[in-house]
Amino acid sequence: MMSTLAPFLPTTLVIIGAFVLLLISTVRSIHLKSYLYITVVFLLLAFAVALPQFGTRSGVYVLPKVFGHTYLADDFATLFDLMFLGGGALTLLINAIYLRKRDYYNGEFFALFLFAIFGMMTLAHANDLVPAFISLELTSIAIYVLTGYHKNYRGSNEAMLKYLVLGSFAGAMFILGTAIFYGVAGTTVISELAAFIQIHGSEHLLALSTAGLFIMITILFKIGAVPFHSWLLDVYLGSPFPVTMFMASVLKVALFAIALRLYLILYVDTGLIGNQIISFLAILTLIGGSWLAISQSMLKRMLAGSSIVHGGYMLIALSSIGLGAHLAAPAIMFYLLSYFISSVGAFGILSYIAADSNRPLTYEDFKGMAHRRPYLSAMMAISMLSLSGFPSTIGFLGKFYIFMSAIESGQFALAGLGIFIAFVSVYYYFKLIAMMYFYPCEEETCEQHPFEIHVSTLLIGLMALITIWGGIGTSLIPWFPGADGIISIAKQAIGSLP
Amino acid sequence: MTVNPDAYFAVATLLFSLGILGVISRRNLLVMYLSIELMLNAVNLILATFSRLHPDEGGTMIALFMIGVIAAEAALFLAVIVQIYRKKHTLDSDAFTELAQGKKL
Repeated sequence: MMSTLAPFLPTTLVIIGAFVLLLISTVRSIHLKSYLYITVVFLLLAFAVALPQFGTRSGVYVLPKVFGHTYLADDFATLFDLMFLGGGALTLLINAIYLRKRDYYNGEFFALFLFAIFGMMTLAHANDLVPAFISLELTSIAIYVLTGYHKNYRGSNEAMLKYLVLGSFAGAMFILGTAIFYGVAGTTVISELAAFIQIHGSEHLLALSTAGLFIMITILFKIGAVPFHSWLLDVYLGSPFPVTMFMASVLKVALFAIALRLYLILYVDTGLIGNQIISFLAILTLIGGSWLAISQSMLKRMLAGSSIVHGGYMLIALSSIGLGAHLAAPAIMFYLLSYFISSVGAFGILSYIAADSNRPLTYEDFKGMAHRRPYLSAMMAISMLSLSGFPSTIGFLGKFYIFMSAIESGQFALAGLGIFIAFVSVYYYFKLIAMMYFYPCEEETCEQHPFEIHVSTLLIGLMALITIWGGIGTSLIPWFPGADGIISIAKQAIGSLP
Repeated sequence: MTVNPDAYFAVATLLFSLGILGVISRRNLLVMYLSIELMLNAVNLILATFSRLHPDEGGTMIALFMIGVIAAEAALFLAVIVQIYRKKHTLDSDAFTELAQGKKL
């Protein structure tokens, strides 16, 4: 009995944690710090339960009598679970100082946070389009509320409004695609759809392609691919820092989980129309995102623009999957991990510095930073190097695998464009490094801040070390996975898909 | 009397298109919200029709789940509209451009 329920345990722990927090959030005497640690304990407990489950299964339907074929437990989903749980705990701990210095956070914030993570976990496990839609909406609704959490700040209100209207507009496309799939194939279970498309794909080519594209529109919208990107900069700017970080890192990972699962059945050897469209959108996303990132002066907007560009790199690999590149799917997972680590570092430092000021940070605020906060500046520089794909960081290897997969599938022009865009991105990342290191500090603000020993700053330091470690270390420490280890873990996870 | 299923699909397509048109062209937030609900309910109609065409109840079940999702979204939308009206005393979507223009907030 216990062994059949074991795959449920991590998700159950998270939802129990969410309800516990919702209940105790009415108690006024509990300090914010306690809520934070209760949340992190639940996340880490679920992480510890999920960790030994990796590598033990290849596709088991959990409780098929109750859920049918909708809830699938495989290595792919478990790996994504681990990323959500670890990412959620990291996001909260790194923002601990920011959360402490703002007065508008309370217990419900953490409950909503856990609901969002629960939605992402069920999204990764979903083997049916309808549960996938419901999980997506669960995640989105929790994040809409988190976006507007600073409810007395006009920017936060505006960000929530924009995200809510455009997000639910795009969400309707997903369920429309599902309805068309149901009408044509008579089922919404992803593995049964795959079998149907393999046999009858050519008879219903137009209907199936349209349905697939409708679903892809929703996913591309939430990722922020270029024709659907208009909300992204404003929403990232308006939301509180912990939420921006959560959206840029963990939510993006969740969306690629469902995108990968769907892409592998829709566009690999099926003849459905759509792969060329994704290639084309990758080009648009790379160029448009770079254009947006270059023209910003606020750092939050610059990182938002750069997150569009990083989505574009992953779209390159996604379209390579459709052309039969075997390296592409593990490359996306590696890239997600590398982008996650680098962006958590960058957003973490921004939120640490922004905790003391009430206005949005610009490039100007970082002038001469290296004289005032040498350690933080070094960590920021490492994050920026990794985001721009500088060799000897984990970001370089991520881009390397992406371009290798594009070349493997024969999309040489796309790989070339990607490399060119990587050079362009050096401009807006190195501008920050230049601001920090190449300007003298002004007289009155020049006193050195001591390095504050706190869980936030220590974790940011750890992220910087992992960034370097992932780029150069391979087998120096036997039990700790280097870059080769991560890519073989990703291959194992992809191999567990049907 | 049985109606040709194509008629249902025609109505659903019309409703969905009207919803898209409403979100794009109308400026009032309440009307935009109603347009999104119209799109989602058009999908419900499609699902119910398919459920009758296939000899199974799966589509109706999906429509039932959809109603739950729509209700959750309705709660959130109305809460946001109330909050925003308190702050700005307008529901014109053109009034919310401060983030895009990079004004001091």
